[in-house]
Amino acid sequence: MKEYFCCRGLRKSYGPHTVLPGIDITLGQGSITALIGASGCGKSTFLHVVAGFVPMDAGAMLLEGTPCGEPGPDRVMVFQDDALLPWLNVRENVEFGLKTAGMAPALRQERVRHILMQVGLEPWANALPSELSGGMRQRVALARTLVLRPKLLLLDEPFAALDAITRSRMQRLLADLQIQTGVTVLLVTHDVSEVCLLADTIHLMGTGRGIVDTWTVAAPRPRDPDDPAFSQLKVQIRAKLEALADDGRVSCKKYNQQPIENY
Amino acid sequence: MPCGLILPIMSDGRGARILPWCLPLLLLALWWGATAFRLTPEWLLPSPAGVARTMFAYVAGNTSVPYGGRFWSDAAASLWRVACGFTLAAVPGLVLGLWSGRSATIARLLSFSINGVKSVPGISWLPLALIWLGVGFMTTVSLIALAGFFPIYFSAAAAAASVPQNLINAGRMLGLSRVKLFAKMILPWSMPQICAGLRVALGMSFAYLVLGELTGVPDGLGALIMDARMNGRVDVLLSGIVLIAVLGGICDGLLVRFLSRLPGVAR
Repeated sequence: MKEYFCCRGLRKSYGPHTVLPGIDITLGQGSITALIGASGCGKSTFLHVVAGFVPMDAGAMLLEGTPCGEPGPDRVMVFQDDALLPWLNVRENVEFGLKTAGMAPALRQERVRHILMQVGLEPWANALPSELSGGMRQRVALARTLVLRPKLLLLDEPFAALDAITRSRMQRLLADLQIQTGVTVLLVTHDVSEVCLLADTIHLMGTGRGIVDTWTVAAPRPRDPDDPAFSQLKVQIRAKLEALADDGRVSCKKYNQQPIENY
Repeated sequence: MPCGLILPIMSDGRGARILPWCLPLLLLALWWGATAFRLTPEWLLPSPAGVARTMFAYVAGNTSVPYGGRFWSDAAASLWRVACGFTLAAVPGLVLGLWSGRSATIARLLSFSINGVKSVPGISWLPLALIWLGVGFMTTVSLIALAGFFPIYFSAAAAAASVPQNLINAGRMLGLSRVKLFAKMILPWSMPQICAGLRVALGMSFAYLVLGELTGVPDGLGALIMDARMNGRVDVLLSGIVLIAVLGGICDGLLVRFLSRLPGVAR
């Protein structure tokens, strides 16, 4: 696989607790890579380090062969809680990053209109986030990131708070958008079905151990969630997750809080 | 009809416009009843009609009669004091509040002192202000500023501290600098709580205005109330109270209208 984004020896500790013990990972261009693991195993911390929100202690990150660290529009994230600006309407939320980048109004309006059409939110362009359902808000969050045409899209359990039907629709939408845009995706989740449906490569993370297992899924997207070919893979992943849960390691969740000082 | 049935009917449509006036009208009716049936002596509680006549004379009457036409100069003096005191409360209250909400170091530096001073009742500062600043403008303004500072400071600090970390992260990934992050994310996010703090502070400004003006200043609505008490004119005293309530309500309405145009308030 041609290296598009890679991490080498990425380490992160909070006090005496090592969350990321030296992660090595490679993402191919246009691929979807999933990180799965129990709550508190460090997968969200890893994603926040990749986004540049949390500084790494040691290691290197290369995007298209260039070192990256500080947050920027080349690596954008969709958060579990959508993180939309509640005082801006859908159009303004999606337009926000392009405006910050100084794009000409006519060009950015065209881009916003196009992405809103792709996520099916054009009729709600003037609605405030408080007027939308959870699924619609996540579609706005997805549109806000994709409109920037990022090199790397980071998804931090983006559908975890949604009901089963909305989650299934959002997974299909993500698969479609990924095919249309060709964006490289790093997805963090604890949903085994979700990784089988979306990911080309699945990495399993253990608490304090980093990546402990990896699977490759060769099937093309869009995939059928009821495809019996995934059943064996789901069983394998679940068995590994249960084995890791039984090894008695303490979660690092409480050490993952970011201080508010110096935003 | 029980309240449970009346209130939902009153809460929408034409009823919604009537609802705010129900309580004042009830109090007015009780007041009228108490005076009409002579439950209290006239010198202790004048009738609503008598107070209305006094108020009209105070607002629009001939300046040759006692208190006649004095309202506009009194209101101008009082509003100027409120404006100065409120501004002196709002500027440091907002700056220090937002700063301490975003920086644990500043919060630690200020918390002990501000919490200590906050516990001192405003009226305790009056004798000291009279000795240091004398009777008049400076004492009244300093009392208003001191009273208004705390609600503004605490609301701004709580609001700035409550900005979700993911919102800050979203701003950083969308390319905002530190200054723009503050102007476009932290400040708009904090606006609803800041607005509440400013409104509480404005209400307290009027309360402390009267306290400051009771100390012997020649003009202002507080001075009118003190003067009326000395002369035993309860009708003038009640007129002063009602007009302070009216002015306070108008100022609050103007503040809300101004704040509602700022980014972050409507959501």
